[in-house]
Amino acid sequence: MKYLTRLIGMLVAACSWSVALATGPEAWNAPYAEKTEALRAKGDPARGEVAFEICQGCHRVGALGRADGSYPRLAGQHVTVLIKQLTDVRSGRRSNPKMLPFADHQSLSVQEIADIAAYLSGLPVPNDQGQGDGKALALGERLYVMDCASCHGPRGEGDPNRFYPRIAGQHFRYLLRENLLIRDGKRKNANPDMVKAIRNYGEAEIDAVADYMSRLPGAPAR
Amino acid sequence: MSLLRTLGGIPLSLSILVSVAAFAADTQETAKTVCAACHGVDGNSTDPQYPKLAGMDQEYLMRQLRAFASGKRREETMSAIVAGIDPNDFSALASYYGKMKPSPGKVNDPQLAAKGKVLYDDGNTDSGVPACAGCHQPHGKGNARFPRLAGQHQAYTLKQLADYKSGRRATDPLMTTVGMRLTLDEAKALAEYIAGL
Repeated sequence: MKYLTRLIGMLVAACSWSVALATGPEAWNAPYAEKTEALRAKGDPARGEVAFEICQGCHRVGALGRADGSYPRLAGQHVTVLIKQLTDVRSGRRSNPKMLPFADHQSLSVQEIADIAAYLSGLPVPNDQGQGDGKALALGERLYVMDCASCHGPRGEGDPNRFYPRIAGQHFRYLLRENLLIRDGKRKNANPDMVKAIRNYGEAEIDAVADYMSRLPGAPAR
Repeated sequence: MSLLRTLGGIPLSLSILVSVAAFAADTQETAKTVCAACHGVDGNSTDPQYPKLAGMDQEYLMRQLRAFASGKRREETMSAIVAGIDPNDFSALASYYGKMKPSPGKVNDPQLAAKGKVLYDDGNTDSGVPACAGCHQPHGKGNARFPRLAGQHQAYTLKQLADYKSGRRATDPLMTTVGMRLTLDEAKALAEYIAGL
């Protein structure tokens, strides 16, 4: 019984310690060896185009993604964001069982990750992304300006230095899905500030803000 | 001095020429006496269980020969035959077949092929099967990393997809994943479409 009490005490201590680690201010983007290495590597777009062949069966030629939201548009995304998300997926920080075998160590080297990111970030973003039904754009704009624009930018341009993705030109269905996952705490590598910002959104508000985001022009000035 | 160098170069050049010719003759001899029985004299097998090799990328063919030799790709008959070929000849053999003209395949069931085309071009977003076109190119011509599929026999394509699924063929982890995600019906549709590319 004494041992059991001690064991429980240790477990509780371990849990609160790991919670403290996971909820630190920058825990969502804490550095780890592979991410740091990929961010430091000099990416080569020409090699990246070749390495991206194993990705384009899903993300499509030109990395334009699919309007049904099954695969996001990657064209024009910031290098830092692409590297963080890709290394997060392959290290299990972001759960994506469909993508994992195509992003694991057998399939991609760290240099190839840097190359792919360099290639994708330079691709054009046409204005043909999937959009919502357009019924609540005023609400969507109000929410976006209030809760999203300070990080993702007034035109959805994101911030490469802070690892905030560009969302302009992204497909509505993908934005909708990820907003819901982030709101519900199911996207493990999400920024807790964003979870907090949209925690109280209902379905209608999530839909409205995703619709507004999907109408931000695809190729803002770089 | 320059005369000496010129004269000195002649025997060396001649010996290189002779050895290249002998090498080429050996390779052709191997191809005709060993490989042709199954893969056809022109690299286009007529028995659908054996793959057509004509027009396949040299690097891909070499990788497969090495995989048979090392046991990474298991196929009792083929492994035994490859064991009798000098690994130094792999490159020339691969080049020999790569330069041959591939023959067109035959679609037997156009409706099935149409289903295969959707999968080939778009994949299956529910199960996470990528579009084949992403790697093997829209018309199945392949490249150095990914083999040519166009015009291949249905039976051979189907057998490879099944072998990836079962783990019997383990030459490419990505294709193992694809094999595991494909249903048998999808694999049949793909094999039918690929035959007509």
